[in-house]
Amino acid sequence: MRSSRKESDLLERAKQGDERAFTALVREYEDMVYNFSFKVCRDRNDAAETLQDTFVNVYRKLGQFDGTSKFSTWLYSIVANNCLMKRRRQKLEKASVSIDEPKMPGRGEHDADLHEMSLLAPWQKSPLDETMTKELRTLLDAAIQKLPVDHRLVFILRDLEGQSAEETAKIMKLSVPAVKSRLRRARVFLREQLNGYMTS
Amino acid sequence: MKKKPVTHKTIFRHICENLDQDMNSPACREIRRHVNGCPECIDYLNSLKTTVALYRRYPAPALSDSARKRLRTALRSTL
Repeated sequence: MRSSRKESDLLERAKQGDERAFTALVREYEDMVYNFSFKVCRDRNDAAETLQDTFVNVYRKLGQFDGTSKFSTWLYSIVANNCLMKRRRQKLEKASVSIDEPKMPGRGEHDADLHEMSLLAPWQKSPLDETMTKELRTLLDAAIQKLPVDHRLVFILRDLEGQSAEETAKIMKLSVPAVKSRLRRARVFLREQLNGYMTS
Repeated sequence: MKKKPVTHKTIFRHICENLDQDMNSPACREIRRHVNGCPECIDYLNSLKTTVALYRRYPAPALSDSARKRLRTALRSTL
């Protein structure tokens, strides 16, 4: 249904207060929003909470959607904003036991020379051929959660959701070069996090 | 003007930025030439691809019925 005339009709009717049309839109996109939220939060409850916040916001802001971008792009931007806001709230709550952002490759001493980061040992394991173990899932979760949330969102939007650099820039309200830079850093950072496991 | 040698650092930066794109520009062709003859770069490129592939393969859980119900309830009180 996405990007179709049916969707445009539903959006128009929902904007005019038609609850059935809005519910149909929710049904169409709830799995996509939950899936994306889970990839960002790595927690079912947080993802469910983000799902609710997102559709409540969508309902309140639907009048602002002017159709110049795809509805899914607009939805992604609301989820991304909810995730960024949630992260800010969590940081404020944890202010007394503040933990510094992890050092990202390309920042500070990491920028000095990527070549000297002990990154060059070849990866011995080929887990793509195997069932994903709990150990590997835990490692993937831990690694991505160490990424600053803006980098995490860019990585997920570009590499996992398949959004273009231009769409990601629109969703994140960043320039395209800023998206590319965050994506590069995120990939290198995640690779570095998995390096010990993959070379052992 | 003397041409700057392509370093691993440059290679890695370009590889990361162009991981999912065609490398057809002159700069990228030079990088590809280097990469093709450099086992370290090939390993590095493959490990970046594996990193992304692992996250793509990570199974995301389905939206549960209880979460769906909670969403409906939250929306009913909003609509």
